[in-house]
Amino acid sequence: MSDGLNYKFLVDTFFVALSGVPITLFVTAVALLVALPLGFLLALTRINQIPILNTFSQVYVSFVRGTPIIIQIFIVYASVPLILTAITEKYNWNIKIYDINPIWYAFIVFSFSTTAILIEVFRSALSTVSKGQLEAAQAVGLTNFQAYRRIVIPQALVVALPNICTATVNLIKATSLGYAMSLQEITLKAKVAANVGYNYVEAYLDIFLVYIILCSLVEYGFKLYEKRLRKYQYVSS
Amino acid sequence: MLEIKDIHKSFGKNEILKGVDLTIDKGDVVVILGPSGSGKTTLLRCINFLEKADSGKAAFGELQVDLHSASKKDIHAIRQKTAFVFQSYNLFNNKTALENVTEGLITGRKVPKTEANEIGKKALDKVGLSDKYDSYPSQLSGGQQQRVGIARAVALNPDIILFDEPTSALDPELVGEVLTVMKNIANEGTTMLVVTHEMSFAKDVAKRVIFMDGGVVVEEGTPHEIFVSPKEERTKKFLKRVLPEDYTFYI
Ligand SMILES: Nc1ncnc2c1ncn2[C@@H]1O[C@H](COP(=O)(O)OP(=O)(O)OP(=O)(O)O)[C@@H](O)[C@H]1O
Ligand SMILES: [Mg+2]
Repeated sequence: MSDGLNYKFLVDTFFVALSGVPITLFVTAVALLVALPLGFLLALTRINQIPILNTFSQVYVSFVRGTPIIIQIFIVYASVPLILTAITEKYNWNIKIYDINPIWYAFIVFSFSTTAILIEVFRSALSTVSKGQLEAAQAVGLTNFQAYRRIVIPQALVVALPNICTATVNLIKATSLGYAMSLQEITLKAKVAANVGYNYVEAYLDIFLVYIILCSLVEYGFKLYEKRLRKYQYVSS
Repeated sequence: MLEIKDIHKSFGKNEILKGVDLTIDKGDVVVILGPSGSGKTTLLRCINFLEKADSGKAAFGELQVDLHSASKKDIHAIRQKTAFVFQSYNLFNNKTALENVTEGLITGRKVPKTEANEIGKKALDKVGLSDKYDSYPSQLSGGQQQRVGIARAVALNPDIILFDEPTSALDPELVGEVLTVMKNIANEGTTMLVVTHEMSFAKDVAKRVIFMDGGVVVEEGTPHEIFVSPKEERTKKFLKRVLPEDYTFYI
């Protein structure tokens, strides 16, 4: 054991941590692909006070917001295999439940929690677009669907984008909890490498660096996109 | 051309429209006057289904609809025949002036884009905004925005344009430019139903004036009949309040 940092290990492990990035991004992307449309639709049920669905979304949001993600992970990781076992036994399917890739559990947990967050993001964004925008679109003969697609959503998106960015960055960071279900993402990979020679400080530094680079890049991408969407507000006469 | 029969509308326990009838002939400009809260806006909004009436019938030429239980298809058909100019303009914030005008044509009516742009530019020229095609609403003054709003309505070539107090959100010095534009399109034979507090517009442009109060039509007639020799006490009281002391009516 040397006193001071093991630089060779630091550099090597940086690349080990980096090799977890694709899984992290994959889980993030799937969660967003599920949560963006679902969160938007459920936000609409809240704005338009659609009975039952409105209440469902409300309960759903407070449930997810009121529990730590790590607990949600434990619940899904522990209960889904039990449910699946019951089902497969009933129908005599020959599936090895405990061979299921943990990434499937990650998809479920993170889609579930991100949807709840995006319901609230879209709800507040939609409420900033005045009712007159929708009415004017209806008055010129657009269907509701066209009015939302062409007029309301583009304006709501501009307002929602900074919050969607925050949600995405939080999601990326939250996937580090995937180690609890042996998801082969950044944190787990670096920690496993550190286990060998107890080089934890180096490993944590590497994890730290990888997340900071990843999150900064994502934020930068969102900023660029937002600037493009906002062009109708920035122009000055 | 447009015939409305017995519209009723309540918000909760509050009965706003208590059986309003209305007939407008092609090419006519009809002005609705009335104190605040008398249901003028609600009436216009019921006509193009921004608000659903509790009961009532409308006939647009051939097309007959029930204002309470019209089908989606009928609502769409009526919106294709009407256009609405809002008190607060309601221009699409994410669209340029030209895109505001062409949106209903391109998306709503499937007019080819080049054709729609031509119609849109002509409409903007007509309201004196030839140099503002590519401006966003945030770059325009209130008067300019409302003129885009009028161009957006005109471009659709509707059977009738409904105006809900088109000048009352404007600074006084901008009211004139909007009224001038409205007079011009009236002179071209556009059928218009206008809620306004601009007495000069009612006097100069209207074919008929309707005075509403408390959810009913109290009195209607030519501008001369309403302004010079109103019959109803409520009309007289209202006019006394809104017209300046020494207002004399020339016609
Ligand atoms: N969506 C609504 N829900 C509840 N009450 C409403 C609604 N819209 C209008 N009202 C009420 O209906 C009444 C009539 O409103 P309306 O806007 O039709 O009057 P108006 O004649 O246009 O008045 P103004 O000259 O002030 O514009 C008002 O008392 C208003 O508060
Ligand atoms: Mg009104």
